[in-house]
Amino acid sequence: MSTGFIGRRPLPDHHEAGRHRVFAVAAVVLAAFLIVIGQLWYLQVLEGGRFLDASDKNRIRIRPVAAPRGILYDRHGVPLVDNRPAFTLSLIPRELERDAERRSATLGRVAALLGVPYAELEDAVARVSADSFVPVRVRRGLTLEDVAKIEERKLELPGVIVEVEPQRTYPSSRFAAHLLGYVREASDEQLKHGKYRRGDMVGQTGLERLLDEYLRGRDGGERIEVDAMGRPVRLVQQTEPRPGAEVVTTIDRRVQEAAEQALDGRAGAIVVMDPRNGDVLAMASAPSFPIDRFTGTIDRDAWLAVVRDPDYPMLNRTLQSQYAPGSVFKIVVAAAGLQEGTLTPLDRIHCGGEFHLGAWTFKDWKEGGHGGVDLHRAMVQSCNIFFYQAGLKVGGAAITKYASAFGFGHVTGVELGNEKSGFLPHPKVKRGRQLWQGGEVVNMSIGQGAVLVTPMQVARFMAAVANGGVLWKPRLVQRVQSAERGTLYSDPGQVTGHVELSPVVWAFLKQSLWSVVNEGGTGAAARIPGLDVAGKTGTAQMIANSKASRGEDHAWFAAFAPAKDPEVVVVILVERGGKGGQVAAPIARKILNAIFFEKVAAIEISG
Amino acid sequence: MVGIDRRLLQNVDWLLLAATTMVLAISAVTLSSLSVGRAGGGGLAFRQLAWVGVGSFALLVIASIDYRRLVRMAPLFYVIGLAGLVSVFALGRTVSGARRWILLGPISVQPSELFKVVFVLMIAWWLSSRWAQSLGRVTVSLVLPIIAVPFVLIVKQPDLGTALLLFPVTVALLVGAGVRFRLLGALALTGLAALPLAWLAMKDYQRERIMVYLDPFRDPLGSAYNVIQAKIAIGSGQLLGKGIAGATQSRLAFLPERHTDFIFAVFAEMWGFVGCLVLLVCYVVLLLRGFDIAAAAREPVGRLVALGATALLASQVLINVGMVTGLLPVVGVPLPLMSYGGSSMLVSLTALGLLLSVRMRQFQ
Repeated sequence: MSTGFIGRRPLPDHHEAGRHRVFAVAAVVLAAFLIVIGQLWYLQVLEGGRFLDASDKNRIRIRPVAAPRGILYDRHGVPLVDNRPAFTLSLIPRELERDAERRSATLGRVAALLGVPYAELEDAVARVSADSFVPVRVRRGLTLEDVAKIEERKLELPGVIVEVEPQRTYPSSRFAAHLLGYVREASDEQLKHGKYRRGDMVGQTGLERLLDEYLRGRDGGERIEVDAMGRPVRLVQQTEPRPGAEVVTTIDRRVQEAAEQALDGRAGAIVVMDPRNGDVLAMASAPSFPIDRFTGTIDRDAWLAVVRDPDYPMLNRTLQSQYAPGSVFKIVVAAAGLQEGTLTPLDRIHCGGEFHLGAWTFKDWKEGGHGGVDLHRAMVQSCNIFFYQAGLKVGGAAITKYASAFGFGHVTGVELGNEKSGFLPHPKVKRGRQLWQGGEVVNMSIGQGAVLVTPMQVARFMAAVANGGVLWKPRLVQRVQSAERGTLYSDPGQVTGHVELSPVVWAFLKQSLWSVVNEGGTGAAARIPGLDVAGKTGTAQMIANSKASRGEDHAWFAAFAPAKDPEVVVVILVERGGKGGQVAAPIARKILNAIFFEKVAAIEISG
Repeated sequence: MVGIDRRLLQNVDWLLLAATTMVLAISAVTLSSLSVGRAGGGGLAFRQLAWVGVGSFALLVIASIDYRRLVRMAPLFYVIGLAGLVSVFALGRTVSGARRWILLGPISVQPSELFKVVFVLMIAWWLSSRWAQSLGRVTVSLVLPIIAVPFVLIVKQPDLGTALLLFPVTVALLVGAGVRFRLLGALALTGLAALPLAWLAMKDYQRERIMVYLDPFRDPLGSAYNVIQAKIAIGSGQLLGKGIAGATQSRLAFLPERHTDFIFAVFAEMWGFVGCLVLLVCYVVLLLRGFDIAAAAREPVGRLVALGATALLASQVLINVGMVTGLLPVVGVPLPLMSYGGSSMLVSLTALGLLLSVRMRQFQ
């Protein structure tokens, strides 16, 4: 064993060397302590501020408290839409399991418990930073049963919470869907503008979109101290949410419901307007969409089914669809001719059922014709042959001039957006002179051919006929008000034009429109004993469009009542409904009956 | 035999005991502050104090016994200790995947903790035995099986922290015994050279297991998170600390293992850099007294026993604080006299008992 590595001497004799060995170990230990102290200096003194921020970030959660959205009321203070507390499934990314497998297991369990597609949960989490404490709302409108399922397993589902939020509730699934519009979480597109935060509920269509600024209110928030498990320990600071402002509309809920019922599943549009101020009392469009589902929970397939429906349920037919006005347009021709002196009440023709112009033959709707007709009878019976000839006499220029004065070809200016302007034919201009094709004028005289109008335009026009020539901008919103801040917005109504006709012409028009309903005319189906209803039928043939093959003509009926001192205008359009007098007039009668006679039981808004 | 005469009492190291008492007091305050304002947590400090009582009794008993008697009996203790380690596999209680505890009546004991002291005595016995007086390659190499057997048993529990602790203690004892640095260097090189061979000899799942041990970031839910939270706790304490009420990392449970392995982070958050200095100075005083006792020991056995006990405490303090402050990977080593845990407290106080035993007999 006596090699070079052997200890020099036996230990007991080597006390001094042993001491040095101990000091060597002690020196190493002391050096290590200095390194540790250096690290503490770095962590606590040099980087301390950063770690203090990190520890605050750990313990403080900011939980947004959604402001209840403002309520929309009808003109009598009855709510059109209300809020109720709803349960929302949310995920807090920071509190989900960090391990990918375990997180998938958690999400998988939630998906299985609630029957939510797993991909939906995964997507929701993937869209935001995994470090975020802000809850990501995954599914709104949980049932109490769903809530119980989640709450029972709370401890096994870290990062999964149920929030309570105010949610829209409607009188019925499709109530005033186009008018009110639906509310949904801000889309990625909307988030880009920076006005909204993720998860904000935003009005997407209709009045909800128009007035979103007012309706939204301001979200409150809570700063909460939580422990490592995310359990709240104490409330640090609280900001109360400011509820959205109230909106008083011009709508009469009773009339709106009556209008929707009267359409009874047929595709079409109804506008009810007060001719004295342009107030829209009802605005209905069918087919409609389930507004409650659009606002709450809807799966992708159901959504696509509605959006891709060939009948376009999302379309607000009162503003966004254009139709030939049909015989309703005869009022314009009569007004133009009478005012210009090219027509008089005594003009008479014989209607044999056909009219020839050059090579063309134009037919009356009635086989064999109406026999001898004057202007009044031609209005009442809606005689096409009379108006073909009258139109040629009055001339295309005069007809379009008066039609334009009555607002056709111009948007009504109602704020809902995407409004169509309709169309009036233009003459060909040759060497500075207007040249009208004879056939075009003939077609226009009975509201066919190139003329296109929206139901809202017809309502504004009919209101002008009823009120003696005043064109009102249709008014939907009277005012926006909030409890703390008073009136934020008010619309006193706006006149956008006047049609100047001599009093005898107004009198003649009203007289003949009254006769259409009350003296055996084409609008007899709208007659209500005791109420002077005046109106005009229209049947818009669908010649130009090949859609005619799909069914019948569009049925129009435009009316006002009482005839002497008009309070309401009712415009009905039924797509491919058939004859105006047979299909649209009875609908108008139902609505007028509801407005003037039906006593309606107390209205309750239902959840 | 058990009994302290006057002359022995004159040589009690009061500074050592004062530093120890200071650390124990800090531990009690920290443990109880964790439960302020919380229901059901107040018992920890009292249970810790109960263990301090048990440990102090052990300290007195050990101090009163001549350490040379203990070293002579070391092989017996060693065999009993190994039996304890083996018994864990048969009787052990599994807590979070590791079998480290056995139940003795109402208390659970961690044989691997208790083995630390036995190990110090055993190495001291071997290095001071008459077979080992030449301190050559063969003598030193025979230390390896003394380490290897308990090392494997402890790793299997698994408790890598405790197992690795055997190495610095052994190195300190080899240095203290006078093994030439060239031989130590050669040993270290041999060990390094053997590592790849051992690696090649291992099966895949064993390698994976070692990797998880060595690289905490392989397990993102575990150690990495702990280290981050510990750093935040320590750093946010800044110079003067947040006080007991403001220590949110600790009190809101963001900090894991805050009663046991990460208690230093709790203390650092509450009392800041200044508080940490005070605590570390207490440890340094305690350890310097230990080294002084070793240096002043009358003969080699005493020096080895005192140096081993001191090295045992020093390694644990440095490894624990090093891992909590992010200097070292996280291995489960408690902070002596601070961390909550009966076995650890018992071992630390027993080690101090050995120091006192050597100290009191330095002039005999």
